[in-house]
Amino acid sequence: MNIAFYLLALVAVLGAGLAITLRNVVHAVFSVLLFFSALAGLFLLMLAEFIAAVQVLVYIGSVGILMLFAIMLTTNVMGDPNRPVRSRGWVWGGLAVIALLAGVLLPLISRTGGQTPTPLSDFNPSVKQLGMVLMDPYFASVGVIALLLTAGLIGAVVAATGASEADQKKTVPANRPNYPNT
Amino acid sequence: MGLTLHHFLILSAILFSIGLVGALTRRHIIIMLICLEIMLNSANLNLIAFWHFSPNPLPLHGPLFTLFAIAIAATEAALGLALVLAIFRHYKTIDPESIQDLKE
Repeated sequence: MNIAFYLLALVAVLGAGLAITLRNVVHAVFSVLLFFSALAGLFLLMLAEFIAAVQVLVYIGSVGILMLFAIMLTTNVMGDPNRPVRSRGWVWGGLAVIALLAGVLLPLISRTGGQTPTPLSDFNPSVKQLGMVLMDPYFASVGVIALLLTAGLIGAVVAATGASEADQKKTVPANRPNYPNT
Repeated sequence: MGLTLHHFLILSAILFSIGLVGALTRRHIIIMLICLEIMLNSANLNLIAFWHFSPNPLPLHGPLFTLFAIAIAATEAALGLALVLAIFRHYKTIDPESIQDLKE
């Protein structure tokens, strides 16, 4: 279990680190898919097998493909070699995050130490139990999530297509190709 | 030496910091969205770790919270990428430092 944890942690850190340093955006998306799969392995290591399956389905399956489509629909993939990868003053952002990590997060984590309870040995959560809990006390949350997903779907369609129709009304008469015979 | 809660919390803090660095310093909107996803995923790792090392893990609240967080994150990704498409169509660029006008 230890070796699996360290291996998966290394893959996760490597994937995330490559995702924020690579210039080519498609390579960055593929390395973040590596990060997602390492996280699915970590969930599996902590006996949350349904969450691991959901992670693979939702993140690697749909969010990654969505990001690849967004890249294909927007800019050139390789990145402009003249444009800088990092924003102006990126050193300050990096220093602030390192200060946050070393000054706030790690001391807080070390204060939780000493009495970390050990995981139960006879603990066998099943997907059936998860479904029962989802139906009994959390039914209203499922309804709210369904409403949110519907609203998000409609909002995404409106945001992605609404502007284009307005643009087309302005630009189509100006640059419509002239085919006299057809 | 077995794994403790500390291992997962430290890993999650490191991954969150990597995501935050990327969101603050990269100059590409899609990479910034990817970094948001990295931060959300490290928060999910935290939730699952707290659940797994809790004294009474059988009510399954940790996986349920993670499930809802994943659903919200998927909605956020779809909406964010649709907004990126709208911004690109309007400004013809994806560099966040050159998107400065509030009105055309």
